[in-house]
Amino acid sequence: MGAYVVRRLLWLPVVLFFVSFGTFTLARFGPGDPVSVTAGQVRDPEVLAQIRRDRGLDSNVVVQYIRWLKKAVQGDFGESYLQKGFSVSELIFPRMWISAQLGIIALVIVFVIGIPMGLLAARFAGSWIDPAIIGTLLFLQAIPVLVIIPPLIWLFGLQLNWLPVGGWDGVFEIWWIAGVVAIPIPDPHLYIPLVAFTLPGFVSVARLVRVSALEVNLEDFVRTARSKGLSETAVQFRHVLPNSLLPLITVVGFALAGVIEGALFVETLLGINGIGRFTFEAVVSRDYDVILATTVIFSAAFVLMNLVAEIAYGFVDPRVRIGASRG
Amino acid sequence: MSQNRLLAVLLGVLAALVLVVGGLSAVLLLGGKSEEGGGTTTSGGAGGAGGDAKGVLRIPGSDPVTLDPHIAGDATSAEYIVEIYSGLVTISPKLDIEMDLAEKVEISQDGKQYTFTLRADATFHSGRKVTATDIKYSIERASSKELQSPTAITYLGDIIGVREHFTGLAKDVKGVEVIDERHVRFTIDAPKPYFLAKLTYPTAFVVDKTQIEGNPRNWSRKPNATGPYKLAEWRLGERIVLEANAKFYLGAPKLKEATYLLAGGSALTRFENNELDVASIYVNDIDRARDTKSDLNKVYKAWPQFSIAYIAFNTSVPPFDDPAVRRAMGMAIDRKRVAEITFKNMLQPANGILMPQMPGYTPEDKTLPYNLDAAKAELAKSKYAGKMPPIQITEVGAGAEAAIDTQAFLELWKQIGLNISIRQTDFATFLADQDAGRLQAFNAVWIMDYPDPEDILDVKFHSGSPLNDVDYKNPEVDKLLDAARIEANPARRLEIYRQAEKKILDDAAWLPLYFSQAHVVVKDGVKNWFEPPMVVPRLRFIELAR
Repeated sequence: MGAYVVRRLLWLPVVLFFVSFGTFTLARFGPGDPVSVTAGQVRDPEVLAQIRRDRGLDSNVVVQYIRWLKKAVQGDFGESYLQKGFSVSELIFPRMWISAQLGIIALVIVFVIGIPMGLLAARFAGSWIDPAIIGTLLFLQAIPVLVIIPPLIWLFGLQLNWLPVGGWDGVFEIWWIAGVVAIPIPDPHLYIPLVAFTLPGFVSVARLVRVSALEVNLEDFVRTARSKGLSETAVQFRHVLPNSLLPLITVVGFALAGVIEGALFVETLLGINGIGRFTFEAVVSRDYDVILATTVIFSAAFVLMNLVAEIAYGFVDPRVRIGASRG
Repeated sequence: MSQNRLLAVLLGVLAALVLVVGGLSAVLLLGGKSEEGGGTTTSGGAGGAGGDAKGVLRIPGSDPVTLDPHIAGDATSAEYIVEIYSGLVTISPKLDIEMDLAEKVEISQDGKQYTFTLRADATFHSGRKVTATDIKYSIERASSKELQSPTAITYLGDIIGVREHFTGLAKDVKGVEVIDERHVRFTIDAPKPYFLAKLTYPTAFVVDKTQIEGNPRNWSRKPNATGPYKLAEWRLGERIVLEANAKFYLGAPKLKEATYLLAGGSALTRFENNELDVASIYVNDIDRARDTKSDLNKVYKAWPQFSIAYIAFNTSVPPFDDPAVRRAMGMAIDRKRVAEITFKNMLQPANGILMPQMPGYTPEDKTLPYNLDAAKAELAKSKYAGKMPPIQITEVGAGAEAAIDTQAFLELWKQIGLNISIRQTDFATFLADQDAGRLQAFNAVWIMDYPDPEDILDVKFHSGSPLNDVDYKNPEVDKLLDAARIEANPARRLEIYRQAEKKILDDAAWLPLYFSQAHVVVKDGVKNWFEPPMVVPRLRFIELAR
């Protein structure tokens, strides 16, 4: 197992090399460049050429890539073109953090609601309850965020005036009681994005749990448990539930990698200063170093989270444990 | 066996939960902390639902590209820079050139020497006095080879020695001399009446040498400058807080604080939810704003802007090397109707190249009159009559269809027998193609940098200008523009520009389409708010009454 993990980790730099080199060359050979975008109305070819020279954009792609790579391995991802004087790390990590906070809270909510829904559907398989639950959740998944957000803003923001209609102000707002006792309550900016993030997510968790629970219900050990005379509740909670959750580990892996990528539409519609929107802006304005840094970080997160999921899975289910002795 | 397995499963689930919950609590802990940290430094600009921020003006904004005045070339950056920094001269809300750090200027007989006298009370935010040496340092920094400012040559290039300094041939700028602590003399290459107007641009603003040399990389994140406001906070993508400079030499501003909210979705929605004091209106909401029965109407106003949308013809490629084709296309568009139907008259149909409020503007329509028969006749005169090469207009866009006004024009051009196609590209590709002269015709917008006709007629249509992106060459126009550059009599100078404008319009190098307007709503308690046609310092003229 340890050897397997090490081997996988050794592959990581190789994956990142190909991802970064691919992104780097694609961006350089694509039309347009960041200098022409940020120069505004200044279109004097000599001035633009001089800026390109100073930025090292005139040398060949391999030379440029090696220069980037040397700095990147030391953690220096370069400087933004769009936001002059700021390093790429200064720009992307705070935004990634905002996206990650939202993403993780949304993930927890999705699991906390999705799992019971799936178990409930499995428990009542064959009755109307099962298709009702799954159908409703599928319906929610089918509504694009672009459609769900405007009515939420209209209702809770403009009509009821309960919630702000966009922005981000941290996870907690502190309520002071008599200036002494601080009670943290979820910040009102959270609710609308969380609804938008979670509604489409329930169904995938619920369906996975449902299928898995249906299978587990047919297992020998469950029959044994029932034949021992255990109550149905005890059977469901002690035997079916834990075993139905196994496939979810894979989902968690992918989902955790996803949270740092942010979400373009939710962030744009609600004006949240997250990484999804920022990456999109960077692509449009050819902010090379930002595009590259986010691509590399997303890829690394994807590889690592999958590895974590595999290890966790192997830990939970010995049958899939790689390198485990089979006696 | 079953027991062991169950145990393993439970442990696994527990591990997964710990992973998730651990992440969550880390989030909560750190999130809570940063919230506390933020709470102490801000004065509640963001405000929750319905919360009024007293004494703070809340404006929508976006991150500036840079707050270094010498390299900024975009309007967003300039909006903050003109509040934080200042220069020898400034532009008033009425667009007059006024004295700022300088209290007076003497211009020599030959119009080439400008001697500025600095105010005795002018100081940096830190309290240090502004001296003539600071002026010289600032001009030299702005035009240095190291800085590679994209704006230096445009705005400072008239000063003797700036070009040599910019290319590294000279160590200093000869044309800027320190006479004594309060006097500085600028020498320019020819008598140019618009020179003072150019000095109002951020490239000529004053910066603090000590601060820059002490922190060359990051000084502009907390600049020590001379303007009416200080940068109190800049949280990337979240907010910028400007605080009044109580020691400002023209008097402490009445508005104590302005918070620019950089995130947060639709500005109008936040305005209606009382999260913002000012918001722009776009075409989807304009009916509501104009409806005299709506609440928005009471706080709605439209302001003309110094910007013009146009279709540019590359005059060196077929068929646009033939003026007849350009003129025919110009005669076939009905910009009044298109502005009314597609933009609900939020844009003003252009009647020429110079926009209202611009010196030299005249109200009569100088564009080619809309007349399909005349257009057909013009087209028949062309050397391309009957063998028209394919025509493609490029515009910035990502939709599956062209901009709605372009679609309307396509229909009109069809009526005179021209089948024109539209190509959409992203912004970076568009600029690259435009710079390389690859575009046959394109949709574009020009925003004025200073209120002088030179900034559009000369800059865009003189055959020697690097910004003449349509390769337009007309010796008569060049002659007029050359004469206007050095004409000392203002009335005669504007008359020359009017003649040049007329000739350019008759040549149809551009099809002027619309002059843009700012449509904004402003909360009742905000007094004296105005939308200048170009970026000028304005916060210090605004008052809050609530």
